[in-house]
Amino acid sequence: MLHAKIIDSSKEKIDILKAEKFLSSSNFGAIIYFVGTVRDLNENKKVTGITYDSRDTMVIKSFEEIYKESETKLKIKDKAVFIEHVKGYVAVKEKSIIIGAACKHRDEAYNLSRFIIEEVKKKSPIWKKEHYTNEESEWLKGVSIQL
Amino acid sequence: MKVTVELHGATKDLSKNNFLEFEIKKNSSIKDIKIEILEFIEKKFKGNQNLKKLIESSAFCSEDDEIISENYKMNENQKIGIIPPIGGG
Repeated sequence: MLHAKIIDSSKEKIDILKAEKFLSSSNFGAIIYFVGTVRDLNENKKVTGITYDSRDTMVIKSFEEIYKESETKLKIKDKAVFIEHVKGYVAVKEKSIIIGAACKHRDEAYNLSRFIIEEVKKKSPIWKKEHYTNEESEWLKGVSIQL
Repeated sequence: MKVTVELHGATKDLSKNNFLEFEIKKNSSIKDIKIEILEFIEKKFKGNQNLKKLIESSAFCSEDDEIISENYKMNENQKIGIIPPIGGG
């Protein structure tokens, strides 16, 4: 069971309550939430916020593929996953991504959560433009997309 | 023939429209499009080396979001996307 969505920050906010509602089930004994937020300092530059850009349809496809891969690579069959990532401007301290991973046992849930965020970093076409206190901004260097 | 390149991430600095259009020869490949973009940077951005490196390190995708190789041949009016290095989360 997978919920995958891009959230336009100008219209909506990422909300962990949605993840809790989606993952609520008596089948699972462990739920891990990973919440990514915008931090205020990067490479000695004071950050005010980040604008996220994404190729939405390809990002959703990558989330679906990562979910499927978790089955073959981690051998976790009974699970529910909630992934939402922001697109648009996000201020410091605000959330950019929520990953909720629900499994029968805690080992599986921890592994699944970590697997998903690491794969998102490598496979989901999302980009960050950082904004600084001196009113400058800069696209961050990323990594080449992996298949 | 005309092809459209949809821009993402840092490549959006290449155009306010978020896309570039090129007139290319029939049977042109992604490799040829890369050359067109590099020539565009040479003309419009005084050969900005950072932008050129960005293009060199970018992948390309088809309209149905599949990553396509440098030898991929394009059709008339085809849209492709440029995928510069990523970094979500």
